[in-house]
Amino acid sequence: MDTLANVAHGLGVALLPINLLYCFIGVFIGTLVGVLPGIGPISAMSLLLPVTLSGTPESGIIMMAGIYYGSMYGGSTTSILVNIPGEAASVVTCIDGHQMAKQGRAGPALGISAFGSFIAGTFSLIALMLVAPSLAGIAIAFGPAEYFSLMVLGLVVLTFLTQGSMAKALLMACIGVVLGLVGLDSITAQPRLTFGRIELIDGIGLVPVVMGLFGVAEVLLNTEQAIKRDIINAKITQLLPNKEDWKASAGPVARGTILGFFLGILPGGGAVVASFASYALEKRLSKHPERFGHGAIEGVAGPESANNSAAGGAFIPLMTLGIPPNVVMALLLGAFVIHGLQPGPLMISQNPTLFWGIVASMYIGNLMLLVLNLPMIGMWVQLLRLPYNVLFPLIILFTIIGVYCSSNNVFDVYVMIAFGVIGYFMRKLGYEPAPLVLAFVLGPMLENNLRKSLILSQGDLMTFVQRPISAVCLAFAAVLLIGPLLPSLRKKRELVALDEGA
Amino acid sequence: MNNDSNVKLRLNNSELWGGLIGLALGLFVIWSGLKLKLGTINDPGSGYVLFYTGILMCLFAASIILAAVTEGGPSFASRWENARWGKPVVVILCLTAFAFALEPLGFLLSAIPLMLLLLRLIDPVRWPVAIPIAILAPAGMWWVLKHLLGIQLPHGIFEIG
Repeated sequence: MDTLANVAHGLGVALLPINLLYCFIGVFIGTLVGVLPGIGPISAMSLLLPVTLSGTPESGIIMMAGIYYGSMYGGSTTSILVNIPGEAASVVTCIDGHQMAKQGRAGPALGISAFGSFIAGTFSLIALMLVAPSLAGIAIAFGPAEYFSLMVLGLVVLTFLTQGSMAKALLMACIGVVLGLVGLDSITAQPRLTFGRIELIDGIGLVPVVMGLFGVAEVLLNTEQAIKRDIINAKITQLLPNKEDWKASAGPVARGTILGFFLGILPGGGAVVASFASYALEKRLSKHPERFGHGAIEGVAGPESANNSAAGGAFIPLMTLGIPPNVVMALLLGAFVIHGLQPGPLMISQNPTLFWGIVASMYIGNLMLLVLNLPMIGMWVQLLRLPYNVLFPLIILFTIIGVYCSSNNVFDVYVMIAFGVIGYFMRKLGYEPAPLVLAFVLGPMLENNLRKSLILSQGDLMTFVQRPISAVCLAFAAVLLIGPLLPSLRKKRELVALDEGA
Repeated sequence: MNNDSNVKLRLNNSELWGGLIGLALGLFVIWSGLKLKLGTINDPGSGYVLFYTGILMCLFAASIILAAVTEGGPSFASRWENARWGKPVVVILCLTAFAFALEPLGFLLSAIPLMLLLLRLIDPVRWPVAIPIAILAPAGMWWVLKHLLGIQLPHGIFEIG
């Protein structure tokens, strides 16, 4: 009964005209960046982070969340019609989705992708509503040691899942922690790594770092290649999947939804991991695995459901523990912090309007997305023809303005350009920026909780292993760190390692 | 002869240089941590986490260097193989010039040339299209920010904008 009352309260917030407008803008931009290859939800969210300053916290976060789950819908359109993933979570959709389009079945591929996404999105929201308040209740008992160990686990899982060398990913995470510690020490008020610059006293801003590493660096990387597009030109008809399509897709949608939700909750996991895992699972369960790669609708239904479900699940650790499980959620945490809010176990009880308003807006956003992605598919197809040589300079202009507006400070524009160049060279040399950004956000919290635990335990390091939750997290992190040293586990890691930043 | 070519190959190993940069950064972080005072384990100081993070950085960088030396790695040239490397260089140069021009010239006088250069240099857009976009996009943005959102972009010494 309580949950229903809360949902009704949340709907009251989400249905306010201004919040409906922000929700629409969010899902529209999300679909847009999902459709356009080269710009992912991370770039778009970092671009729009300063915009959230102008409205209420609810409106800003509703919009940011809309961009995230909206991009999951939009990404499939490009994968199916152009064979280029609109964003990283839609990479696997290219395999069978584009084959279906080539066989004249673009409509059912787009249809099952949208319906699967809708079903999964709805399920993950219901689960979020049921799980989050109970988990928040448990999380109240968490002390600094538990928080520290959970954050370590989150960082280790992300580095484990990052493409390429794990040593490089761990080095990136360490650099992220160091960058996060620039500025005044929160306990002693001593300036650290500020090099005498007043602008660095408050630390390096999240917006210029993320916009540089993901926005500018992404453009620099894309300018290297002439992007070729093989757009399916045939008119898209019959978007509704037929009876056989539904029969073949029901299982993959259900399995993808559940698998995606749990992978979304895990620290370091997310939509990308979920979509790959779902594809592998469907191929393994199929009676005719040879059909995969040649236009099997299960290969579209499962991953697309999984990535949307994971997008919903990822909100749980952020909302209940205040720990972002991936980079996108780290940006959302940034949006909370900009508004002076701290997500965590007390947020649901102390700020129910915000929590239930966001959850309810996600229902509405999912409905909006269904309309945006099915009847209006023609509009997105037209958008795929937008020339990149015009788009990229405009993105750079938006990043400059976005960074400046976030702080009214030219110094941040310099920081963004510097991180753009650093991010470009990092990617070229095989260093992924995702662990750096997550560690940058978690760094100050990690330090704070470590120092608090050491002070409280009077320097007894055993406090981290004597507390059960902390011990489990650290043990799991240790397994993931040691695992890749074993050849069999290293091979498995290479199979699941993903480019989260794409 | 063979030895010479091996040495040349190792020095041109991008993994090795990446690891060396990581090691240098790690040593710098350790030094910064020490300078800030470590404190004790009962009462960690401002440099405590920095110091230990620096040690971890050195360990990870050393493992990258070790792998680069024992297993080899791609050369810098191979990282840019089949890539139009001149394009990002041009964009970086344009952005650097923009960064230097932004404060003295102001947003409009620095953003319009930046846009024009990017539109013409990445994958050349025709002049009749490039010029209006280069002028209208920054000017439109400036107008919206100044008149609708009340945000003042830098106007430089000429006070334009």
